[in-house]
Amino acid sequence: MRRSTLRTAVAVVTAGLTLTACGSDDGGSAGGSGSDAATATSAEDFGGMDALVEAAQEEGTLNVIALPPDWANYGEMLDTFSEKYDIEINSASPDGSSADEVNAVTSQRGQDRAPDVLDLGLSFARQAQAQDLLAPYQVETWDEIPDDQKDPEGHWYNDYGGYLSIGCNATIVAKCPTTMAELADPQYKGQVALNGNPTQAQAAFAGVWAAALANGGSLDDIGPGIDFFVDLKESGNFNPVESTPATVLSGETPISLDWDYVNAAQTDEMEAAGSTWEVHVPSDGLMGGYYSQAISKFAPHPAAARLWQEFLYSDEGQNIWLKGGARPVRLPAMEDAGTADADALGALPQVEGTAEFPSEEQEAAAKQVVTDRWNAEMSG
Amino acid sequence: MTALAEGVAGAGGVAPTTPVRPGRRGAGGWRYVVLAILGLYFLVPIAASVWFTIRDRGRGTLTARYYTGIPGAEGFAEAFTRSLVLAVLTVVLALLLMVPTVVLVNLRLPRLRITVEVLTLMPLVLPPIALVVGVRSVLSWAPDYFLNTPLAEAFFAIQEPSLPWILVFVYVVLALPFVYRALDAGVRGADLRTLTEAARNLGASWPRVLVSVVLPVLRTSVLNAAFLTFALVLGEFTIANILGYETFPMWILRIGGSLPQLSVAVSVLSLLITWALLLLISALDRRRGAKESS
Amino acid sequence: MLVVLGALPFFLYVGVFLLLPIGVLAVEAFRATDPVTFEESWSTASIQAITEGPYRRAYVGSLQLSVITAVLGTVLGLALAIAVLRAKRGRLLRRMVLTASGVLANFGGIPLAFAFLAAIGSQGVVTALLTDTLGLGLGGFSLASMTGLALVYLYFLIPLMVLTIIPALEALRPQWREAADNLGASGWQYWRHVGGPVLAPPVIGAAMLLFASAFAAYATAKALVGSSVPLVTLQIADALSSNVVVGAENLGKALALGMVVIIGLVMVFYAWVQRRTQRWLS
Repeated sequence: MRRSTLRTAVAVVTAGLTLTACGSDDGGSAGGSGSDAATATSAEDFGGMDALVEAAQEEGTLNVIALPPDWANYGEMLDTFSEKYDIEINSASPDGSSADEVNAVTSQRGQDRAPDVLDLGLSFARQAQAQDLLAPYQVETWDEIPDDQKDPEGHWYNDYGGYLSIGCNATIVAKCPTTMAELADPQYKGQVALNGNPTQAQAAFAGVWAAALANGGSLDDIGPGIDFFVDLKESGNFNPVESTPATVLSGETPISLDWDYVNAAQTDEMEAAGSTWEVHVPSDGLMGGYYSQAISKFAPHPAAARLWQEFLYSDEGQNIWLKGGARPVRLPAMEDAGTADADALGALPQVEGTAEFPSEEQEAAAKQVVTDRWNAEMSG
Repeated sequence: MTALAEGVAGAGGVAPTTPVRPGRRGAGGWRYVVLAILGLYFLVPIAASVWFTIRDRGRGTLTARYYTGIPGAEGFAEAFTRSLVLAVLTVVLALLLMVPTVVLVNLRLPRLRITVEVLTLMPLVLPPIALVVGVRSVLSWAPDYFLNTPLAEAFFAIQEPSLPWILVFVYVVLALPFVYRALDAGVRGADLRTLTEAARNLGASWPRVLVSVVLPVLRTSVLNAAFLTFALVLGEFTIANILGYETFPMWILRIGGSLPQLSVAVSVLSLLITWALLLLISALDRRRGAKESS
Repeated sequence: MLVVLGALPFFLYVGVFLLLPIGVLAVEAFRATDPVTFEESWSTASIQAITEGPYRRAYVGSLQLSVITAVLGTVLGLALAIAVLRAKRGRLLRRMVLTASGVLANFGGIPLAFAFLAAIGSQGVVTALLTDTLGLGLGGFSLASMTGLALVYLYFLIPLMVLTIIPALEALRPQWREAADNLGASGWQYWRHVGGPVLAPPVIGAAMLLFASAFAAYATAKALVGSSVPLVTLQIADALSSNVVVGAENLGKALALGMVVIIGLVMVFYAWVQRRTQRWLS
C-alpha cells in the first residue's frame, strides 16, 4: 500500500516537471493574422487601409486598458470604433494607472486578455520603450503630429492633452476661484482638493507644478508649488480627501484641481443633479500635459491595435477627443485645414498665454523633489 | 496562540448556544447608555448615506430612482453574479479542503494540530496587500520563465477575467482562519471521536462516515463558516483591485465615478440585504435546532 | 501513512497559495531595477529606503493608528458585548447585534468612507444640522485626519470585537458569579480570580486581531484621506500603481515585507504576553 502511494507521488511530480520543461514552440500570440501584423510599422505594410481594416476585422477583438468612459470622451471613442468596424472591445481596469498598464503588458504576456494598446503618461511610455515592450508604428497622419510630441521611430506618440484647471461647484461656492492665487483666499476653507496624491496621480502632479509656476517657480523648480500647498494645508483651505464625482456632487470637495477635460466631463452630471459646475484654467499657473499612445509588442490582436491607432489619429477620432474637452495632438493642423469640430473647439475653456512643456530631465527632477517632499510635508 | 484562535471560533456564530440570563446585579443603566451611544454611532452614517441616495437635488424632492435603477445599471448583473459565483466556489473549495483536514487533525493526527493552527492563523494577521503583491509576482513567472508551456497555460487559465479562479484560490486562503476555527469548534463540541468510532464499529467505510456522520454534525459550523466566507468574498476589495478583476466591490467603485448616488445606494442595499439574510439564517437555524432537541 | 496523505492537500495548498507568495515577496524586496537600463540586480536599496523619511513616518503612523483603534475597539466592543448579553430582551437584541456585527465587520472601503463623509464630512448631514440649528459646527474636527480615520476604523473594528468576544463572554457562567457571591467575594475579587483569568486571553487575542485588521486596512483610508495621513498600505498601493513615478515596484515590495515583519514581531510579542498573563493570573 505504501509503496504504491510513493510511486504515484513520484509519477505526479515527474509529470509536473515534464509539463514545465517541454513546451510547444508556436508563436506566443494567438492572433489569427500571424506575425506579419505584429511587425507592421504602417498601413502600407498591410497593403493599404482597406487591407488593414480587413485584417483587424478578422481578429474581431481589441483589448484596451485603463480607459474610463468619461475621460476625454473615451466612451464615445470606444463605441464609435466598435460600431464602425464591427470589432468587439474589451475594456479592462478602467480606473487603472499607467503603472498598471505597463505591468499588464509584462505580466499578461501570452494571455488572450493582454492589452493591445496603451494610453500612458509620457515617462511610462519612455520606460516601456526602454523595456522593449512597444511595437513601432506610424499612422497615416504621422507627419501632422509635431516632432516634439512623438518618438521619431514611432514607439509612442502623444494623443491628447489639456491644462490643469480649477473645477468649482458654483451652487456651493459663492465666487469661484479662477487663478491659483485665489485658492489661498480664506473663503475657500476646507474646499480645495486634488484628485489624488501628486506622487501617484499625474493631474495632481500638474496641480503642484501649476502652483509652482504661479508662485515664482519654474519648469526647473517645483519647490514653490509644494510650499503653496503646505500653506493651503496650514490655513485649512486644503481638503485632503481625493476628489471624485461623488465628493464633488456631495459638496465635500467643491473645488477640484484636475485636467480641464476631466473637469469638463462632470458638467452634465452635475447639472442633472441640480448643481452648477464651472471650469477655469488658471492664468497664473498654466500647466499642460499630454498623454501618449503606444502599441504593445505582444498584442494578441496586432491588426486591430493598429487600426485603433489609425482611427484615433483620423479627423473623426481627434474630433471625438475634442468633444470631450481635450486638445488632440493634431489640433493645430486640423485648425489650419478647417477640419476641427467648431462647436467643440469653442467649448474649450479659455486659455491665456502659451504653455511650455517640461523636458524629460525637468520632469524627472521635479518628480524627485515631489517624492521627497510631498509625503513628508503634507501628511500627518 | 490558541486563545486568539478560540476567539475566532465564535466569529459569526449564528445561534446563541447558552441560555442568556439577564443580569440582576447593580443598576443596568450604563448598558442602555452604551447601547444608545453605539447604536447612534452605527446608524447615523448609514442614515446619512440613505439620505444622500433618496434626495433628488435637481427637484428638491425625494426619489427612489437610484434604488430602482440598480438592476438595470450597466455591469451590475455581471459583476454581482461574478462575485456570487466566486463566493460559492470559495466556500465549496474551502470546505472541501478543511473538513477532511479538521476531521483528521482531531481524530488521527493531534500532533499536527499546532502546525495547522499556526498556518491558519497567518492569513488572519497577514495584510492582504502584502499577500497580493507576492501572488502577482508568482503569476508573472508564467510569461517570464515558462511561456508556451502547458503550465503557463494553466496559469493563464486561472486568470481568465470572466471567472478568475486565482481569486478563488486566494480567497480560500483568506477564509481559512474562519473556516478552520468554526469547523474545529464544531468537531470538538460534538465529540466526533465517539461518534466516528461507533460508526466504524458498525461497519461504515470512511467516506460513508464522512458523509453520514461528520457532515450532519458539523452542519451549524459549516453554516457559520459558509456565511463568514460569503461576506468576506462579497466585500473583498484590495486583492481584486490589485489583480485587476471586476468583482462586485470593484464595480461599486467604478460606478461611483459616474453615478455616485447609485454606487452608494448599492452599498447600502447590499449591507441591508446581507444583514436580513443572516437574520434569516439565524432564525432558521434556531428553529431547526429547537426541533431536533425536542 | 495514508492518513498523513489525507492532510497533504491542506499543506500543499497553504504552501502554494500562502507561503510561496510571502517567500517570493521576501526575496523580491531585495531586488532593484536600474532606472535607466531597467536591469535587475540584488540590492538592499529598497530595504534601506523604507526605514527612512516618509516611509518610516508611514510605519509609525500605521502603528499609531492601529494601536489606538485596537485599544478603543477592544474597550468599546467589550462594553457593547457585555451590554448586549445582559440586556433584558436578550435574545432578539443579541441576535440582531451578532448578525449586524457579522455584516459590519466586513463593511469597509469606499462605502464606509462615503457614509462617514455623508454624515460628518464638511457637507455632511450632521455637520449641517450642528451648524444650522445649533450654530456649533464640528469645532475644527476634520474627518480626513488621524482622529477622523480612527473614528471610521472603529466602525468595523467594534463589530469584529463583538463577534470575537461574545463566545468567550458566554463561557463566563453566571453560576460562577453566584458561587463567588455566596462565598463572600467582592466584585473586585471575582474579576481578579475568576472573570479576569477567563477573559484575559480571549480579550488580548481579540485586541491583537483588531490591531492586525487596522494595520492592514487599505481601501477605507484611501477613500477617506488619500495620502494626507501617513499609512504604509497607502504607500504600497501608490508605489505599485503610480501614474507619476516610474519603477517604484521594488519599493512597494520592500514596504510590504516590512509589514509582514512587523506583524510577525507583534505575534511573537502577543505569544509572550499570553504566557505572562497565564503565569500572573494563575
